[in-house]
Amino acid sequence: MQPYGIQSMLKEGHKHLSGLDEAVVKNIDACKQLSTITRTSLGPNGMNKMVINHLDKLFVTNDAATIVNELEVQHPAAKILVLAGKAQQEEIGDGANLTISFAGELLQNAEELIRMGLHPSEIISGYNKGIIKTIELLEDLVEKGSENMDVRNKEEVITRMKAAVASKQFGQEDILCPLVADNPANFNVDNVRVAKLLGGGLYNSTVVRGMVLKNAAVGSIQRIEKAKVAVFAGGVDTSATETKGTVLIHSADQLENYAKTEEAKVEELIRGVVESGAKVIVSGAAVGEMALHFCERYKLMVLKISSKFELRRFCRTTGAVAMLKLCHPNPDDLGYVDSVSVEEIGGVRVTVVKNEEGGNSVSTVVLRGSTDSILDDLERAVDDGVNTYKAMCKDSRMVPGGAATEIELARKVKEFGLKETGLDQYAIAKFAESFEMVPKTLAENAGLNAMEIISSLYAEHANGNYKVGIDLEEGVWKDVSALNIWDLYITKFFALKFAADAACTVLRVDQIIMAKPAGGPRREQPAGNDED
Amino acid sequence: MAAMMQPQIILLKEGTDTSQGKAQLVSNINACTVVADTVRTTLGPRGMDKLIHDDKGNVTISNDGATIMKLLDIVHPAAKILVDIAKSQDSEVGDGTTTVVLLAGEFLKEAKPFIEDGVHPQNLIRSYRTACSLAIEKIKELAISIEGKTREEKKSLLAKCAATTLSSKLIGGEKEFFASMVVDAVVAIGNEDKLNMIGIKKVPGGSMRDSFLVDGVAFKKTFSYAGFEQQPKKFLKPKILLLNIELELKSEKENAEIRLSDPSQYQSIVDAEWNIIYDKLDKCVQSGAKVVLSRLAIGDLGTQYFADRDIFCAGRVSEEDLLRVAAATGGTVQTSVNNVIDEVLGTCEVFEEKQVGNERFNIFSGCPSGLTATIVLRGGADQFIEEAERSLHDAIMIVRRALKNSTVVAGGGAIDMEISRFLRQHARTIAGKSQLFINSYAKALEVIPRQLCDNAGFDATDVLNKLRQKHALPTGEGAPYGVDINTGGIADSFANFVWEPSVVKINAINAATEAACLILSVDETVKNPKSESAQGEAAASAMGGRGRGGAAFRGRGGRGMRRR
Repeated sequence: MQPYGIQSMLKEGHKHLSGLDEAVVKNIDACKQLSTITRTSLGPNGMNKMVINHLDKLFVTNDAATIVNELEVQHPAAKILVLAGKAQQEEIGDGANLTISFAGELLQNAEELIRMGLHPSEIISGYNKGIIKTIELLEDLVEKGSENMDVRNKEEVITRMKAAVASKQFGQEDILCPLVADNPANFNVDNVRVAKLLGGGLYNSTVVRGMVLKNAAVGSIQRIEKAKVAVFAGGVDTSATETKGTVLIHSADQLENYAKTEEAKVEELIRGVVESGAKVIVSGAAVGEMALHFCERYKLMVLKISSKFELRRFCRTTGAVAMLKLCHPNPDDLGYVDSVSVEEIGGVRVTVVKNEEGGNSVSTVVLRGSTDSILDDLERAVDDGVNTYKAMCKDSRMVPGGAATEIELARKVKEFGLKETGLDQYAIAKFAESFEMVPKTLAENAGLNAMEIISSLYAEHANGNYKVGIDLEEGVWKDVSALNIWDLYITKFFALKFAADAACTVLRVDQIIMAKPAGGPRREQPAGNDED
Repeated sequence: MAAMMQPQIILLKEGTDTSQGKAQLVSNINACTVVADTVRTTLGPRGMDKLIHDDKGNVTISNDGATIMKLLDIVHPAAKILVDIAKSQDSEVGDGTTTVVLLAGEFLKEAKPFIEDGVHPQNLIRSYRTACSLAIEKIKELAISIEGKTREEKKSLLAKCAATTLSSKLIGGEKEFFASMVVDAVVAIGNEDKLNMIGIKKVPGGSMRDSFLVDGVAFKKTFSYAGFEQQPKKFLKPKILLLNIELELKSEKENAEIRLSDPSQYQSIVDAEWNIIYDKLDKCVQSGAKVVLSRLAIGDLGTQYFADRDIFCAGRVSEEDLLRVAAATGGTVQTSVNNVIDEVLGTCEVFEEKQVGNERFNIFSGCPSGLTATIVLRGGADQFIEEAERSLHDAIMIVRRALKNSTVVAGGGAIDMEISRFLRQHARTIAGKSQLFINSYAKALEVIPRQLCDNAGFDATDVLNKLRQKHALPTGEGAPYGVDINTGGIADSFANFVWEPSVVKINAINAATEAACLILSVDETVKNPKSESAQGEAAASAMGGRGRGGAAFRGRGGRGMRRR
């Protein structure tokens, strides 16, 4: 049959979908499916997902960013949601789940509107008005006096961080938060390291001012205190030529002395390091046997750090300047450590580098847990905590947590919607309704009766108690300011904004045209499991 | 296929496998229960061993939970978590690996009816966590410190702990013999926290009783060249030189080349080479050392040169052994023979080469720094010695942990019963659902004494009832009562010296709870199709490991540190 219309313009094998039913509704369906997956992970009582990625690595997590990252979402519309989640993760580092779940909810409600007969463009305009109003309202909800904070005050930091960490590791936030908050003044995300060591339990976790290297010292000296450190990026060894060279020997004397000169040279270099006052040598590459021999002889401790990043951090910890090749170090280039010692933690030998003095800003959270998956999940919780810390340094304002803010927003936006004329009114009302998703999910995930909770929350808020949210410990509604559950304003702000943007983008699409996938060796082709 | 290419159906990549909901949770629990069932029968002194035959035809007989779990090669994602906790228990405390798997399995089993009845997993998790922290507090409260005792007393106390561990193993028949050996070895290395300083050497033949402990280093005679026979085989207080160079005639450097214009010079070059090696040998001799060990080869020439001068030498000593000799004798390994000062030479009381079974052993005993010990294990079959080695490793770890933490609790299921009783009592004070959950947690803990009885062929219900009665005594005097494996009744475990370091129990309960909570908290599994490169990788490792964690399932070599 002769192709006609759009089919005649495109290469064979393309896909073309258009119209409300085929494109918009189907897009919404896909997004809904995605958000159902992430939704059950929302909040402290959220359930974990077991995701096995294409490399056969197992993730057990309730961190939405990780889940969607490993899911390999294929659907183009659903991908937009994933991107919104990722944007949130990059901007703030927390709240990705709120973004995706909220966007999913917005779209679900949009579907109802479409079925009612509204045109997507009307929904979009309503949603846009909704989000603008929401942001205005959100600002009003900010807790008074929270815009100024002392980021070095541990208490204040923990207050703001608690909710973020609790949503990942409920019941353990009281242990984790101080670990994250106990960081030096000079804050930078890269300065907080996490060392995961199998065995023990979370209560064994500690913070080390300095670094924890996951290997033992090279030589026999395993412990040294208050020592100067020389760092050599290029390895501690005799230097060899890059180009292939051959040493020509002409006489017996030369042959006999050949080895001796090399030995003397290495000894001279090592002695140079010793004379500069260094007690610890750190090598970025291999440590030659001959060099090690002389290090032992001169009682130097030798560490090997093969990762360039680790080496750079080590320099930052100790204040040392990495020298490219083995040479006589300048006293200014030496770093200082309080102590370096090899310790055995849970059957693994690690080198603990401590430095309290000077401008050291690197600290390491040593996490303990009984399985790799628990450790990975703890690490993500710590990451979220660190990111929240970063965010609160930018903007320390906070809003009531535990769904109190969402209910208040839902109520206010609904009121605002009623004042609007035209079809926008419906869209704004649905927008407001979408906020209910948060308390509903929180309650459902905690095994509570969602409808009962929501209605009582509305009642409380109508009486002006805008800080009343869900207390998940006891399963009742309470004033969250008394429970000290706070969310960062900036996290909420971006999460809601990204979600609304993503939802509008998905709604705006009315046609999907997929070109035929390019030829060439396709990844899936040889995998026979597609057929069966 | 193109016709059904509706994009909304394919949210995820083709071949992605998802399952979710209650059914999925129950299936995860079932998988874990099955795994726990396999190791169940190995618990306790009367536990049975497992024979595992892998695809390469290697046979392992073991009673050690961690070893069995590793060899089982589990692919189920949820059940893998149990393997992880066994591994964690192994690295943290070294023993109690069966216990931890069994407990986790039992916690999940108890949770299953609740899940099926529609209880939200989070409620269970919260109660389990509370129960766990209560249990740990209780253990700490019940633990008895062995701090402040004299060295001798402490030693006998530690031997009790080691004996408890060993009683559940293949070499349980000789537990006193091995327990004192293990304690001596651990006490010898002192506070220096280095497991690899205790060497375990295996020599087939003889009986278990022929095993012995060397307060120094022992290793099998290395390959030797002609002239070795003439070397003396016993020294008193010899000086020991440790080298990392070859004492052999060979080219000096890879990249050196000799070009001669005058043929008459040729002989001088040959002489020079000989001079170099003679010079090295001479320096070794001049250092005053009577024993020369090298990590690299010592050739014919060197062997004979040393033999002529009444020096013992051994080349190709494995690095581990060499380092142990260095630590024991106080010497340092030299990479050059120039400038050998007295300081780098080690020494020991007696060096001798002895016949052990049909092997010859080089034994350094009476080392000054005393930081090493070597256990030479004898036994009938290879598998037997392998298992004995694993058992000793567990015992060594237990003694080390006991030494470090210095608190012990009563074994034989006594502590489990006591915690169980305590939790039941506590549960009654709680209003609400968690009462049920904490009760089920308490019930799960009873699996330890129950299994001990089952494995020994006793009537578990009968014994448990007796135990419950004892533990329920209001005076609290029944707290240390556990299963008496000899009579089939109950007995005061503490008085019978069935002791365990408290850290073993704490870690076991903690790890088991964490694992159980993790499995309960999963409500969805998404399995992405493997990418092609990963498939190749997986085929290469043939074990379906998972990225970095794969090493755990490679069976042998996993618990590398006990290999020697």
